[in-house]
Amino acid sequence: MNRLTEILRGPTAALLHKEFLEAWRDRRALWMAVCFSLLFPAMLAGGSIFMVKKQAEEISRLALLGSASAPLLEQRLRGGGLEVDALAEGDPAELLAGDYDIVLWVQEGFAEEYRNFGAPPLYLYIDSSSSSSPRAQRHLQERLGALQQLVVQQRVTARGLAPQLLAPWRLEVRDVSTPSRRGAVLLAMVPGLLILTLFVASLATSVDTSAGERERLSLETLLLQPLPGWQVILAKTLAVASMGWAGALLALVALVSLMPLMPLAELGIQQATTLSGVLTMGLLLLPLALLVAVVQILLALRSGSFKDAQTQLSILQVAPVLLLMMLDMSRVELGGFFWQLVPLVGQQQWLKALLVGESVPAATLLAGSAATLLLVAVAIRLGARALQREALLSAA
Amino acid sequence: MAGTRKIIAGLAVLVASLWLRTDALGQAAGAETCYLDGWRNPLRCYRLPIESEPEAPQLAVMVAPAVNNSGEEPLYLLAGGPGQAASDLAPLLNAFEPVNRERDIVMVDRRGAGRSGAFRCGIEDQRSLDLDAFARKLADCYLDRAEFAESLSSRQTVEDLEMVRSRLGHERIALWGGSWGTRTALLYQQWHPQSVSELVLDAVAPIDTKVFLTARAAEDALQALQRDCANDPACARLGNWRAQLDALLESWDQGGRPVLSDPLTGQPLTEPMARWEFANAIRTVLYDPRAAAQLPFAITEAHSGNLQPLVGLSGLFVKSTESMSMGLTFSVACAEELNRISADEIAADSDGTFLGTAFLDLFQHGCRGWPVKEKPYAAPEPRAQPVLLISGEADPITPPRYADEALGYLADKQHLVVASGGHINSPRGCIPELIARFLAQPAEELDSTCTREISRPPFMVASYGPDIGGTAGNPVKEPGTGGRHDSGEEAGE
Amino acid sequence: MIEVNSISKAFAGRPVLRELDFRVPDGRITALLGANGAGKTSCLRIIGGLLRADSGTVRVGGIDVARDPLAVQRQLGVVGDREGLYERLTVEEYLTLFARMQGLAGAALRESLEYVRRELELEPLWRRRTRGFSQGERMKVSLARALVHRPQHLILDEPTRGLDVLAARLLRRTLLRLRDAGTTILFSSHVMSEVLELSDSVLVMARGCIVGSGTPQALIREAGCSNLEDAFVALAYGDRQAGEVPA
Repeated sequence: MNRLTEILRGPTAALLHKEFLEAWRDRRALWMAVCFSLLFPAMLAGGSIFMVKKQAEEISRLALLGSASAPLLEQRLRGGGLEVDALAEGDPAELLAGDYDIVLWVQEGFAEEYRNFGAPPLYLYIDSSSSSSPRAQRHLQERLGALQQLVVQQRVTARGLAPQLLAPWRLEVRDVSTPSRRGAVLLAMVPGLLILTLFVASLATSVDTSAGERERLSLETLLLQPLPGWQVILAKTLAVASMGWAGALLALVALVSLMPLMPLAELGIQQATTLSGVLTMGLLLLPLALLVAVVQILLALRSGSFKDAQTQLSILQVAPVLLLMMLDMSRVELGGFFWQLVPLVGQQQWLKALLVGESVPAATLLAGSAATLLLVAVAIRLGARALQREALLSAA
Repeated sequence: MAGTRKIIAGLAVLVASLWLRTDALGQAAGAETCYLDGWRNPLRCYRLPIESEPEAPQLAVMVAPAVNNSGEEPLYLLAGGPGQAASDLAPLLNAFEPVNRERDIVMVDRRGAGRSGAFRCGIEDQRSLDLDAFARKLADCYLDRAEFAESLSSRQTVEDLEMVRSRLGHERIALWGGSWGTRTALLYQQWHPQSVSELVLDAVAPIDTKVFLTARAAEDALQALQRDCANDPACARLGNWRAQLDALLESWDQGGRPVLSDPLTGQPLTEPMARWEFANAIRTVLYDPRAAAQLPFAITEAHSGNLQPLVGLSGLFVKSTESMSMGLTFSVACAEELNRISADEIAADSDGTFLGTAFLDLFQHGCRGWPVKEKPYAAPEPRAQPVLLISGEADPITPPRYADEALGYLADKQHLVVASGGHINSPRGCIPELIARFLAQPAEELDSTCTREISRPPFMVASYGPDIGGTAGNPVKEPGTGGRHDSGEEAGE
Repeated sequence: MIEVNSISKAFAGRPVLRELDFRVPDGRITALLGANGAGKTSCLRIIGGLLRADSGTVRVGGIDVARDPLAVQRQLGVVGDREGLYERLTVEEYLTLFARMQGLAGAALRESLEYVRRELELEPLWRRRTRGFSQGERMKVSLARALVHRPQHLILDEPTRGLDVLAARLLRRTLLRLRDAGTTILFSSHVMSEVLELSDSVLVMARGCIVGSGTPQALIREAGCSNLEDAFVALAYGDRQAGEVPA
């Protein structure tokens, strides 16, 4: 008890207090953290809303040439996202260059040939360099396919056959995914982005507290205080991590609060993130925030100047996310226990699970977090040693 | 130190809450993941024993879980027949996807149907059978399981549903009924009004309406088809097919009854088609506008001696008769419908119709060998739940007038009538969206203008199918300047 | 008392200090005079415990710096470069936090803060953040931070550089008062006037060792020159160069 009070009122607490005041009063760093933390949830939510809205509202414009030869065609093609304009004549290339996504040309004599079972051609003009072309073709295929099926059914029935004869089997698709798991596709990038947020949100602070302090010549004064080096690194790590963690928490909260606005249900996705899941995500990010902070501080202390540190850390923040993406894409089986102990990989896996409402065994969480914290401790020790390097001090 | 202890306690609670959550995910005991044909996503399936009757078949309950359960009342799907199984309604889940986003959809196979001990009599898949032979087979089936046959009823089904409702922990439920399922739904509303929140009734069979008197309804549906065909220039060219139909019916039994071939195997059928079968086949075709669109042509052909189109048409319905549990059908129909139909009523209903008594004959014959006690209903009492009624204008068994005339006791109802629509319209056009909107805001009146876009499919007018038009069309020039060059290239491919 | 006992230090194989050996007595102001690159700063850093000597020992108040740097730092005040302030902290916060880092708390903390505030006339600056402070203001705050825990030993690195007349006067007055109170003061400089004005004795440092020591007057006498600058050149670079410097 006494020892705790001693620590809380003693030199170490003063050091910590100094580091936090410095970190949180850095407006520029704070803005950077807040902006990035809000940016990606906003983009994710906005993107998905836009995507669904676009999908629901997307209309393809079809120019139907020669529809006088087949009025039924014109009538049955309308609807289902296809807007049909029957034109007496026109140049397909010009029409495609204009407002139309596709052009269907019904040849003269089409109906005659159809009545004679001649399988007359329908000419579909597309512009495969246009982004709307595949969608328009899909729309047309849907409408045309339905009409074709109807004609075939009538023809077969007329010959005394059951239309089932044309379908020797039915393919019944059974999707084993659950609505919550289906969210994994959409939310796949969220763990990486949350981890990226840790890096970005703590970047400015870590550079400022290490390379910045050195460049402002205040580091020497600090090191002259009767405090062990590991405490100096620890205090800086905590201050930097507090910024990164706050950023990641902000992003997480923003994301979860934006989820109800996202049209997840329309995409068949269940919003399964639970409150305890969010709390767990917040907690599991803390050891990682510490690790990111201390690694950033170590690198920044090593670098020659403030600018140099910024450059190095900017590269550093991209590297882990790329690494995670590569691991994801390479289909490495990451479910094994030892992967759970690897910092970043473990946290990414847990975030992934928790986002879709699954739980992560507490033992795994604790073991993985302990492994990360162990690395933090090692890094702090390395940092303490780095503080004794001559090169760290400003030139005489 | 006290502070530290608090933090540790807090963490412990958090970790504990993670475990608890995992348990809650397990849902009610006994749920298994299963699938139904026609719906790609996994369902939660239960087998619920009926506690008071250990010998009774366990009830098969299938739940399509809501994508995001917002705590809205689940929607229970009640199947038709009587004799159809709710599990056969799985393809409807595609149409109910907007509803399923926020609500569980529950399908309970009623006792004697589908996966709850289907009461089949082995005559479901026989397409051609003499009426008397049919009745004899049925009577044997009854004698095999007389007690079971007696036990099946609407009352029992409703009580079973009520049991399922409470076992699944649903406080109130919304009901979707189709065809005979609307009767079950309406009875459920009568007997357990506190359990029901809203009703969606498609092809309504009101409690007091004798829906087995179908001759008049079928005649109306046929006349609607006549009207629509006459308004379609291509179909109109087929001429007076109605008169040809009447002539065919009249002369059916004179001369040799035609022996038809099986629409699947192409083999000649052993039994010739009976007149009552033919009339019923016409009636059945009227259920589905797609099939009905082929009827004028099929009649025309039959009149000139080519029965193949009719055979093909009958092939469209092979599957739907197979799924019926005939034992259940007769247990309910004989005790709850045939019992209350008088000879006078039959005569009045069938007079001047193409169907006559062909449909009722089948049931009257059957019920003679199916002597279950009659189970009459009490007169319906007023109910205030919001009800959405859906009717097809040309439905040959539950026409819109039933819903208009016999549901005066419902205080809050809206009626969607689909022009030229057949039997069951829930999956068509914008109706799924309207149902979802109704369930979300039952107090608001629906804007039903979008149902006007639902139209009859094009009529079959010749052996090539529908008339694609263009007989007198303007000659069409090849499009564009480079058109010929383009088409040449395409031909070369 | 600061005792530097024949310390040597090399950076990347380049010797900076060679067997450096001197004493700084209590109650005196001692100047460490040397040209740029003479090794003054490295020497001060070794005394402060920031660097370790390759050989030799340093004792501050009888404590070996290499053995217990933290104990040494507790009785040492250092005024390093004046740029090294925290611009996002107010003077009060800055001094409070550093006093606490030195282990002060409660009444002792309040008393110390009051002492430096009065002594260094910090009242008008007290609640201001240090961004935009003048060189004089910065020196005052740095000095206050070095003194806030009332150290027995005070080390200053080129203290009057860039100061205006008033600030320089305040610094002088403060150092003299501290000396009279028995504080051991060591400052480095390459500015002759500063050394003459402040120091009781001078250590002349060149090429990593002490080449002369004594009062300024004694040094001038010893070198046979007319002023300290000539004396310094003579001592640091030898007679060869002394002639080249205008007398």
